[in-house]
Amino acid sequence: MANTLRLYLTCIRNTLEAAMCLQNFPCQEVERHNKPEVELKTSTELLLNPVLICRNEAEKCLIETSINSLRISLKVKQADELENILTKKFLRFLSMRAEAFQVLRRKPVQGYDISFLITNYHCEEMQKHKLIDFIVQFMEDIDKEISELKLSVNTRGRLVATEFLKQFI
Amino acid sequence: MPGMACFERASPALKEILLKLYRNEKPVELDHHLHEFGSVEYHIQSSASDPYHTYLSISTPLLSHGVLHSNGFSGYTIEMVNGICSDVVEIVEPAREGYQLTLRLDFAKIPQGKESVKMITEISTVQAVILSSQLKEMLRTVSSQDASQGMYKPIKLVYHPREPFFVIKQPTKITAVFPMRFKENSDVIIATAFFQELMDVGSSKAWAKVPPCTWSAIPPPELRGEHFEDLSTNGGFVSFDISSHHVQGKKLDKTVWSLLNFYGFVKYHVKCTRGFIQRRMRKRLESLVEVLQKASIEEDQYVKKVQGGRCVKKLVGFSKSKILRQRYDFTNKIKKLRSRIKIRGFSRFRRRWLKIPKFSSMTRYSKLD
Repeated sequence: MANTLRLYLTCIRNTLEAAMCLQNFPCQEVERHNKPEVELKTSTELLLNPVLICRNEAEKCLIETSINSLRISLKVKQADELENILTKKFLRFLSMRAEAFQVLRRKPVQGYDISFLITNYHCEEMQKHKLIDFIVQFMEDIDKEISELKLSVNTRGRLVATEFLKQFI
Repeated sequence: MPGMACFERASPALKEILLKLYRNEKPVELDHHLHEFGSVEYHIQSSASDPYHTYLSISTPLLSHGVLHSNGFSGYTIEMVNGICSDVVEIVEPAREGYQLTLRLDFAKIPQGKESVKMITEISTVQAVILSSQLKEMLRTVSSQDASQGMYKPIKLVYHPREPFFVIKQPTKITAVFPMRFKENSDVIIATAFFQELMDVGSSKAWAKVPPCTWSAIPPPELRGEHFEDLSTNGGFVSFDISSHHVQGKKLDKTVWSLLNFYGFVKYHVKCTRGFIQRRMRKRLESLVEVLQKASIEEDQYVKKVQGGRCVKKLVGFSKSKILRQRYDFTNKIKKLRSRIKIRGFSRFRRRWLKIPKFSSMTRYSKLD
């Protein structure tokens, strides 16, 4: 793993460890409502300062925390047009199957490619450190997958081009 | 990986119908219209009164308009069509109304066995023969006197109505220019990556014999003066420079077929690549979900080891039906726990030995007589 990527992921891991101290907290405005405060933002006193971690201009991670929920938004690097469509395709594919991940948000926060929403219930159901492991591994895997996909598409193109040109010989 | 096998010259539907007709023992009455690629039309006619002859009429858009016969085909094209199984096939003059060409097929002259399939397959290539003969005619004149006189005007060829391409005759070569259009932006990017690879492979030393290929986002200078709608593309322009050695002998047929199918080839590659990306994403989704599921199994094991009272739910998707079913099971268990324990014969024992005398309640009102 590149040194800068390791530092970036370590920073995100540490921030998540610090931020993931969620507790059950019913809505202060509406009776019998228990909603993620980070989404509703009804009371400012229940929200913490958002943390933005940037590797570079194209790659960043926004961590928004509240008393009962945490929202992680990721922006994945897209060096060229091919990477751009592959990233869009892949992340859209995952977002459409968000129920498989439980913590994945169906729609990313504006300006980001993919978002996760972790509530206190998720923290009760799953082990905290494993959730953090999952987020970090997800980030690593996405990067790897996009690079591999790009390579495969180019390799396929080269093979097909060779097959086409063979006909002229 | 797309191979040229998928771009068969013989029309599969026409081949099937002709084979059925040939294999039928009894003569049948048949009047079949067949459409292909939206613009090619076949009419197959066979009557019981004339069991030896089947009539095949074809209507196809012309690649270009050169020196034409009454039916719209050049002499060279007619010559090429006559070359298809000349014993069996005969051109009928004039062609049936609404069609450019009518062929009379004499099935009695087709030999039995494997040869018959081969011959019928060859007859089914009639449309491919017509199309390629037109382009062949142009390419054959690469090094002729006619080209050296300076006919640089592009000739627009329409193999498919929405996908025209241009052939430009130059003194020593013929340039085929393909304006590339795609419906979706993602297709444009996949195709562009392919064109760049095509250029790279074509320019390498190992492939010096193939026609040089160039791709540019803007129209090449040869197409200056053409209609705006022909020059407005989203996928750029791919050009092949065909020299005389690309059209010598047997190579001519291969070159013509490759050029005619270039659009189809690119579109097939784009479609396959999209499928490949989708397959890979599915596979990756499974491995990503596995990370979460794996964690839940480990957690279960951990709970079993510790034997604590902590309840850790399995990390699986909780559907509404599942939650309702779990609730139903739970209430059933509670009901079972609360229900009285039944012991056989206990009620008789209770009536006899544990009889509680009835007391009138002090608080209850009782009517006085």
